Amino acid sequence: MTAIGSARSDAPTGLRRVAGRLRADRWATTGLVVIGLFVLAAVFAGPLTAISGQNPYTYHLDRLDDSGSPLGFGGGISPTHWFGVEPLTGRDLFAIVVFGSRTSLLVSVSATVLAVVVGVLVGITTGFFGGWYDRTLSRVIDVLFGFPSLVFMISLTAIVPTSFPKPLLIILVIGFFGWPSIARVVRGQTLSLRERNFVVASNAMGGGPWHIIAHQVLPNVSATIIVFATISIPSMIGVEAALSFLGVGVPPPTPSWGRTIGDAVTWVQTDPSYLVFPGAALFLVTLAFNVVGDGLRDALDPRRGVVSR
Amino acid sequence: MKNLTRAGIIAIAATLLITGCSSTTGAAGTAVTNKGGTLTILTPSTKIDLDPAKSQNLAITTLGLIERRLTTWDIRAGRPATVVPDLATTTGTPSDGGKTWTFTLKDGLKFADGSAITSADIKYGVERSFSDELSGGLSYHKSLLVGGADYHGPYSGSALASIETPSPKSIVFHLTGAYGDWPWIASMPAFSPVPQAKDNPATYGQDPVASGPYKVASNKQGTALTLTRNTYWSAKSDTVRVAGPDSVVFRMSQDPSTAAQSLISDAGDTKAAFGAAFLGAAQLAQVNRDPAAKARLATSQAGPLSYLALNTQRGALKNLDVRKALEYAVDKKAYLIASGGAAAGETATTLITPGIAGRQAYDLYPAGADGDVKKAKSLLAKAGQSSGLSLTLLVLNDATSLAKAQAIQQGVQRAGITVTIAPEDENSFYSDATATDANYDLALYSWQPDFPSANSNIQPLFASSEIGDGRNNVARYSNPEVDALIAMATAEVDQKAAQALWAKADKRIMQDAPVVPLSYAKQSFLRGSKVKNFFVASFPAYPNYLTLSLAK
Repeated sequence: MTAIGSARSDAPTGLRRVAGRLRADRWATTGLVVIGLFVLAAVFAGPLTAISGQNPYTYHLDRLDDSGSPLGFGGGISPTHWFGVEPLTGRDLFAIVVFGSRTSLLVSVSATVLAVVVGVLVGITTGFFGGWYDRTLSRVIDVLFGFPSLVFMISLTAIVPTSFPKPLLIILVIGFFGWPSIARVVRGQTLSLRERNFVVASNAMGGGPWHIIAHQVLPNVSATIIVFATISIPSMIGVEAALSFLGVGVPPPTPSWGRTIGDAVTWVQTDPSYLVFPGAALFLVTLAFNVVGDGLRDALDPRRGVVSR
Repeated sequence: MKNLTRAGIIAIAATLLITGCSSTTGAAGTAVTNKGGTLTILTPSTKIDLDPAKSQNLAITTLGLIERRLTTWDIRAGRPATVVPDLATTTGTPSDGGKTWTFTLKDGLKFADGSAITSADIKYGVERSFSDELSGGLSYHKSLLVGGADYHGPYSGSALASIETPSPKSIVFHLTGAYGDWPWIASMPAFSPVPQAKDNPATYGQDPVASGPYKVASNKQGTALTLTRNTYWSAKSDTVRVAGPDSVVFRMSQDPSTAAQSLISDAGDTKAAFGAAFLGAAQLAQVNRDPAAKARLATSQAGPLSYLALNTQRGALKNLDVRKALEYAVDKKAYLIASGGAAAGETATTLITPGIAGRQAYDLYPAGADGDVKKAKSLLAKAGQSSGLSLTLLVLNDATSLAKAQAIQQGVQRAGITVTIAPEDENSFYSDATATDANYDLALYSWQPDFPSANSNIQPLFASSEIGDGRNNVARYSNPEVDALIAMATAEVDQKAAQALWAKADKRIMQDAPVVPLSYAKQSFLRGSKVKNFFVASFPAYPNYLTLSLAK
């Protein structure tokens, strides 16, 4: 008990130790590099696609035959079109994948932030205050867990007026269904922390509830929150791709991996590379986040630390 | 009206089980019909309602196998569609200058239960199509029959006086005005006989009393509809139905691309099957690379019109110069490629579609294959809209429609017009596009005429009486001069004179630029290797179900 408390009390050492453990984990390092590359691609999508003089919106009908399928090897791969071109439009597939990472990362990270903020707030307060407030919100969490969220998201995105910005709507909807799991974990940790000596002591010395939450409880659940956020990003990416795949994601022509994959499925026999590139991008980025999340969990796990040292 | 428009649109969207056809298999010939076997039809529909009053089926598809009408269509490969007698002995005898139409039934006609078909059964069939609980069917006749506007069907006990049955064999229709195309109207599903004693409006569509060569053996919604022979049907009284297979199975809820894959591989059951949905761009590209599958493809001639409707009652689009600018700015080449290229259609410039008698080709806005951006920009400048014009485009939420919408979007973007795509699912799309209050600037729409007359190209889409309330004047176009032309052409009983009037209306409407004609769609259907005499004629752009047979 006190071991954990003391480990948390000198945070810089803790962080440095976590970073050291992460560096030693080859998989996690690779994952971090991959994530870094995707983030860079998303941020510098414009300059990156400008190298080959492309953007995801310009049509190149001269790259297509008269039935709309790309001319040339691998879906029209060429020095100017690195991943080939999109059937029926001739738009540059590399530009679509690169700009698609922007959509994916923006939506997933924003939705995760929303889910974590709401989840931590609800988790800590329900765990700390208990009583009818805890019972009510815990039932709400139970309901949300059993809720057919994907079906609800599809119907919601279909009925909201088209004037409401779609990306914001998707962030709100995905974030809304993301918070219950983190709230439940944080609540569990808070429940046990509440009985610890340092919390009781702080209370006895006259610390108010919000002071205790902010200075005693929150720092001690931060490791959990970090791991949880990292692990939930890929699932958010997956949900965004699923919504786009089902035709209720961000509206075209904004590139989105899920929609491109959905369109490409029917082309898999004639133009497989149309499916391969966005599919590989989606696979790599979700895998990387999962690997990093696992690595972080291991690095932050005090028991593992004891064993390994 | 609403129903009629939806029928046309849905046919193109391939969401209803309406049939299609193609012409390339004509070589198989119509010579000898082999009897026997089970024909399977793969359809994406999740529900097949066989109630004639609720149906927008073409005369040559599903309902045509089960229910005969007063007249029907004779559809053959390479020949224009003609209207021929079905239950009646002629296609109708006009009197009173085209306001009264008389039909006489053939001898010895029987329902599947062995009872005789009388003119009272046909009168009852038409009457029930007026009732409010049976909505969704083709409704051309409802405004044409005297008293039709205030009639609400036979279930409240009243009859429609403008349909007379002087004897069990003859039936007389009294119209509000002369109507030269009445023989085509009498081929619509509502003109099938329905015995009053067997009618229950809630369930009749499950298992109607058959008059055609097939009757329902089982009908499991969402799964399969199985038809077997109706032994009371006689080939002697029927000139258009061949009734080759012993039974016909409609397999429902089939994903179009999965169905296309199994038809391409042509294995097992699918040898004796065909797809009711036309192929998408990806499948078409795949079939074109596979000679064995390509030989089994039937493609229609350029037919149904796809167009961009400009909401003429809204904002900047009220200005004729802005609409003309859109005519020039749209990239029709990109649109055509997005729909599947040359195999999927031809660029359109007129409203009357190819294959319709009396069509005159013209192009009021010649702009080259991919538009004339300079001209568009100068027209926009003239209208004071040279920058910042922003429009919403209402479109169906499926991959094909979105690809087409993006082609439009990038085309007009070149002229500085920003288009926001508003994808909507099928139900919302049609209800929003045909609603009385419009919330869109542009809409991507398509239209297959319900019968092969220019009337069906023009009136439902451009008459001012067809705006809102579920009707299909999606451009919300209203011009008294055009309304007068339509009224004149409709009343004209002389076909040549009527055709000239329709062609004049076509050009007059395009002068006001309420729509941008995009393409005349070609629809391609794939059959299994054992299906014989599978073709798509020039009209309609769907295969003829009635003449199919199976190889041994």
